[in-house]
Amino acid sequence: MLVLVPPEIDVDETAPAADATVETTNALLLRVAQGDQRAFSELYDVIAPRMLGLVRHVLKDHAQSEEVVQEVLLEVWQTAPRFDPNKGKAVTWMLTMAHRRAIDRVRSAQSSRDRDTRIGIRDLDREFDSVAESVEIRVEHDRVEKALSRLSELQRQAVELAYYGGYSHSEVAEMLNIPMGTVKTRLRDGMMRLRAELGVAS
Amino acid sequence: MSRHDDDVMNDDEFADVRTALGLAVPPVAPSPGMKSAVMSAIATTPQVAPLGAVTPLDESPAAAVAASPTTSAEARAQARWFSRPATLVMAAAAAVALFFGGVLAADLVSPSAPSAADQLASIVAAPDVSTLVSPVAGGGTSTLVSSETAGLSAMVFEGLQPLSDDERYALWYITDGVPTPAGLFAVTGDGAVVQVLEGTFQAGTIVGVTVEPASGSPAPTSDPIVAIATA
Repeated sequence: MLVLVPPEIDVDETAPAADATVETTNALLLRVAQGDQRAFSELYDVIAPRMLGLVRHVLKDHAQSEEVVQEVLLEVWQTAPRFDPNKGKAVTWMLTMAHRRAIDRVRSAQSSRDRDTRIGIRDLDREFDSVAESVEIRVEHDRVEKALSRLSELQRQAVELAYYGGYSHSEVAEMLNIPMGTVKTRLRDGMMRLRAELGVAS
Repeated sequence: MSRHDDDVMNDDEFADVRTALGLAVPPVAPSPGMKSAVMSAIATTPQVAPLGAVTPLDESPAAAVAASPTTSAEARAQARWFSRPATLVMAAAAAVALFFGGVLAADLVSPSAPSAADQLASIVAAPDVSTLVSPVAGGGTSTLVSSETAGLSAMVFEGLQPLSDDERYALWYITDGVPTPAGLFAVTGDGAVVQVLEGTFQAGTIVGVTVEPASGSPAPTSDPIVAIATA
């Protein structure tokens, strides 16, 4: 158990706790874009555990997840010169790549997959209990969990299945037994609500 | 493009929300060997040029040296790159999916090879066409365009270095560590080449390019200048 943060902590709307990660990775990626291998080594230390956490959460299998993360990291190295800091954050760019690869992998291996619908923030909590984490990471986690809890149950399910589960719209529709159009609406509403709750810019 | 297109979750407007969701997952420490594997992979993997950068074809002597074949001792030492474990080959593979636009200029295809042009057209028209871009060690870029339903793939090169008269670029399909020759070719002029691979393309195979004697080789005898793992 890890109780480092007062429960009523007031999170500044415009200052997500992950700011440090955002700034560190932006600076490092710009150096990596110049071919700086030492910067890549530092970037690895920051981003590889985050990528692996996310990819493994989607894929479940640790070895496969490491494989995916290695591919993504190599892609980060190769394409860093094309990263445009004016168009977005480095951490977003890198996690997006990792998330997409994880989803591609999980969808291509779907038949063998454990179709567990109880994916989501409760799993995240269980994973957290066994891991000692930095205050920053814990605060960020709690902030997102709190934001998710403000969605309607159906919005939250749709977002969690689509993002953490990697399920397509039609699969989410099937699992929740609702029409595709409704899934899209719930996802969009859910994501907009989250954006507002988290105070992140679009 | 592709399957992500209609995805609400994929909208740019939600990029930061997705990042927040991603960062909310507890980090997982990679296994100890992973970092050294990644660091050695990047040490031998060239980076792409920044968008809009102009790359002169005969830019530097260093590039030409790097593109030349290795000595025979080195070649022997490195000869069996294609039979290394798949993860290592993939680490070296430099496979990057990029948007497929404007790469296939029709005038790159030799008019004397209409069948190649036809094959290329059938690959590009296939519903499962996939493109993977990789830099070429020593200079230039390569794009693998493949379709499993068509059973065909083609490599599109730009800025490939010319070779001496007694050498050729060799294409390989490498499946389960077993290389199959998929054609030889030479480069003239600006180093822009489109080459349809001989044989049948299967998803999951690795497409490699090496420099070989003009007479060809039954298996690669040098390190790949390109190795693209397909999925």
